[in-house]
Amino acid sequence: MGTPEVIGIEQKLIVGVGDMAVSNNPNLVLTTYALGSCLGIGIYDPVMHIAGLLHVMLPDSRIDAGRATARPCMFVDSGVPLLIRSAHELGAARQRMQITVAGGAQIMDHTGVFNIGKRNLQALSELLAQNSLQIVASQVGGLVNRTMSMKIATGSVTLKVSGQPQEIPLWTP
Amino acid sequence: MDALDTLISRVGYLPPFPRQVPLLLELLNKDEVNAEQVVALLEYDPSLTANVMRVCNSVMFGSSSPANDLQEAVLRLGFKEVCRLVLVISSSNALVPPQKAYGLETNELWKHSIATALATTAIAEDLGDDANLAFTAGLLHDIGKVVLARALDQSYADMFADLELSQTATTEAEKKLFGFQHAEVGGRMLARWRFSAPLVAAVWFHHDPMRARPHERLAACVFLGNMIAHFMGHGYGHLAFAFRGRTEALDILGLEPNSLPRYMIDTFEAMEELKELLHFDLATA
Repeated sequence: MGTPEVIGIEQKLIVGVGDMAVSNNPNLVLTTYALGSCLGIGIYDPVMHIAGLLHVMLPDSRIDAGRATARPCMFVDSGVPLLIRSAHELGAARQRMQITVAGGAQIMDHTGVFNIGKRNLQALSELLAQNSLQIVASQVGGLVNRTMSMKIATGSVTLKVSGQPQEIPLWTP
Repeated sequence: MDALDTLISRVGYLPPFPRQVPLLLELLNKDEVNAEQVVALLEYDPSLTANVMRVCNSVMFGSSSPANDLQEAVLRLGFKEVCRLVLVISSSNALVPPQKAYGLETNELWKHSIATALATTAIAEDLGDDANLAFTAGLLHDIGKVVLARALDQSYADMFADLELSQTATTEAEKKLFGFQHAEVGGRMLARWRFSAPLVAAVWFHHDPMRARPHERLAACVFLGNMIAHFMGHGYGHLAFAFRGRTEALDILGLEPNSLPRYMIDTFEAMEELKELLHFDLATA
């Protein structure tokens, strides 16, 4: 299957904090703004051209059962399984799923008390390992705020780092 | 005039700030306030009054039932809400313009400040501390950047070039370059504008809350509020996360580290309320 044609105008779909979008509409570009210690997690099936983008804030939904039910995409442990399932239901095959990750920034804290970004990443790694999924590209940690975009037609992922003028490519399938 | 005043004077720029705001905050502390007192204070600043009315009528009341005057707006919205609106509007002149030296685009310092105000308020409210002070301190904590950015321009590019490599915090690099960092400059600006002692101290020491005694609780709330704003994606510009973790902020407030995720969720909810109330979405503004 080739790259689906973009018909008409390319549209931007914004994914908010604690939210997710999964689609096979080739006109869409999924964008999530302002990833601090949060993680933007992309999923893509390059054969079916099905893409998903998730913006999680915290590692563990057990701190707030009500929130976990109302807004599962706020947490890594409830959001990531939902992302995988939703992409799968739309027709993405598990063995072809490509995962991209950005965010998880950290302040300067040698005690580790404030390392929510790192804990988000740990929780994600464990979940992906359990699901036999691999991260194909990531830009995580560091001292910067990032915005992540994914073109559904091609699966290419770009980042805009706050304070820097240019968008940079993260991954092209 | 001491060296800090000299630095501020050398820049030759103090952002405009309405003289009424510190007086308004004093009114907030009184048990009984009537709408006339608030109106009397704001009337001296017609453009501020006009802006408050515009926001009230365009986004809060809707065109079907606009308020006729400020007094009606205060009665309908409540004093606290109008006060916060006045604060957010009056800080916008200083905080909205881009600050190239810090890599901040238009609106970004303002969005960061609003997010910090909401997070600081969430913590203070939960702990039974003064929520109005928390909101104001959170909103104005980075106002010193507006002045320092003018002193810096070219030197800042060099400064940020090696921060990450040398694991130097922004405040430490500022201090090395200019003798002062943005929190101290902001604290002095608030003192010049005659804000109250707790607000001056909390802004001055928002990166080192222990030194804010006897106002260390407020400073600790601002430190954590600022950090939460960064975590939640509202810390912008060059190496925005280049500041030190202060575990003493938790100790001062008697908090456990695992209370942070809860405050992040509270802040998220406050942002959702802001979106509904003002149709103002921090994520896309």
